Amino acid sequence: MSGPNLLQMGVRMIQLFHVSRVFPGDYAALSDVSFAVSRGEFVFLTGPSGAGKTTLLRLMICADRPTQGQILVDGCNVSHLTRSSIPALRRKIGVVFQDFKLLPRATVSENVALALQVAGIHGYERERRVRRVLGQVGLEHRAAALPPQLSGGEQQRAVVARALVPDPLVLLADEPTGNLDPAMTIQIMDLLCAANARGVTVLVATHDPLLLSRYRKRVLHLDRGHLVKDTEAVSAPLRAAQA
Amino acid sequence: MVASGVYFFRSALEGLRRAPLLHLVSITAIAFALLLGGMARLASGAVDSLLLASRSQVELTLYLEPNVREDEAARIAQQLASLGTPARVVSPEAALRRLRLELGDLGKLLDDLPQNPLPPTIELELPGSMRGSAQLGELSKRAKALPGVAEVDDGGQAVAQLVRIGRALRFAAAAVFTVASLAAILIVAATLQLTIYARRQEIEIQKLVGATNYFVRAPFVIEGLIHGVIGASVASLGLASIARILAPRLASLASFVADPAATQALRSGRVIAELVAAGCLLGVLGSLAAVHRFLRT
Repeated sequence: MSGPNLLQMGVRMIQLFHVSRVFPGDYAALSDVSFAVSRGEFVFLTGPSGAGKTTLLRLMICADRPTQGQILVDGCNVSHLTRSSIPALRRKIGVVFQDFKLLPRATVSENVALALQVAGIHGYERERRVRRVLGQVGLEHRAAALPPQLSGGEQQRAVVARALVPDPLVLLADEPTGNLDPAMTIQIMDLLCAANARGVTVLVATHDPLLLSRYRKRVLHLDRGHLVKDTEAVSAPLRAAQA
Repeated sequence: MVASGVYFFRSALEGLRRAPLLHLVSITAIAFALLLGGMARLASGAVDSLLLASRSQVELTLYLEPNVREDEAARIAQQLASLGTPARVVSPEAALRRLRLELGDLGKLLDDLPQNPLPPTIELELPGSMRGSAQLGELSKRAKALPGVAEVDDGGQAVAQLVRIGRALRFAAAAVFTVASLAAILIVAATLQLTIYARRQEIEIQKLVGATNYFVRAPFVIEGLIHGVIGASVASLGLASIARILAPRLASLASFVADPAATQALRSGRVIAELVAAGCLLGVLGSLAAVHRFLRT
């Protein structure tokens, strides 16, 4: 089989227990959300704008803290992490940001290398891994380019490369294809699927129904902060029929 | 570790390159603080060296009655020599010649005096064993009891005054340096905060991909160190210029300013090393304050 090893399945990589996030003014971005994602699983997180997808991803990387509930990533309760422990968690998680978050004055290669630099990986090993991942995303020839010199699709691939280069356990992608044309969308999704095939647990936030119908993956539906539906992976035609 | 150091150093240089004017403000503040501190330090050092010199040349001077003849003075000197202290008679004429030499150009004024006002004196060069205040006091007392001796000067007053001046200068130096240093730290922190703010997006990205506070902090600390080293270099140049240009001009006002010991420390590099160390400390403290405040928020 080309997917993740079946032995990995069933081991919980991400677990949320009654997670809520209420912002000042009593605005509940998330309300009592609970679910679990197994190691090596590929899951879509979907819902309309403002459903709480980005908030959920931010809680997982400790960019924000839940008002209530517990979040476990690889067995580590991130809700109670001290500030000094957050970097170690983030090195286990690759993140593809909706707004790219590339350093504009650093080359593609330097941007990708940053994820290794912060982990203390230097020299030949760093160069080797950067070259390898740039090859995987098809950006070898753009290694010396600056982000403003790249197209939207190339920038997104550079972000995917940076997220994948430290060999993360989990890959979180926030609307990774939001600004891309259909051909580029498929390229990016193929990269995420390839990472998942290598055993990386992938959680993709998207509100693109075409993406959900094309890929036969589990889907978590959020609406106004509530988890309203958890659809197991089904075949594309069946999903279309359900819709 | 070395590779990280290279990365941090490159980041710091990149930071300096991006906002040179801001960094110039910070460097100027450090240089100014160090210049003030260095000047105060040199002045108190000069007083210290003068004090040291005066202590190593303790002399007892006996002023004789004006009517004491030379042979009587020689007899008194012999009596004193028997106490174990070599004594030298200085006649009023010899004393006037010496004063004329010490006054330099102003010595001509002495020619207009109707008569020599200086009394004959006996100078005692004290051996090390007799320089203690107790021995000195005892010797002064015995010398004063000798017939023909009008007054005894053991130089204690002058030394005590120098000690007081030295102490006051050291306190003033510490106070000036402390105030100037605090101001420099605040200015370094404020300017670095502006550069940190300009690079907040970069820091946010670093943190999101797993950078520790140490990783974020390191380039700014190096920037602070560079500020300190450049500021100290500027202050050293300033001090050297002051020592070279100003000292000879002030020499006629206060002889200790031109004292070679004051500028010797500068030439030996000890003061420069102290300035560099102090500059690095100011730069690092300023940068740590700035980054700490940013990371806390």
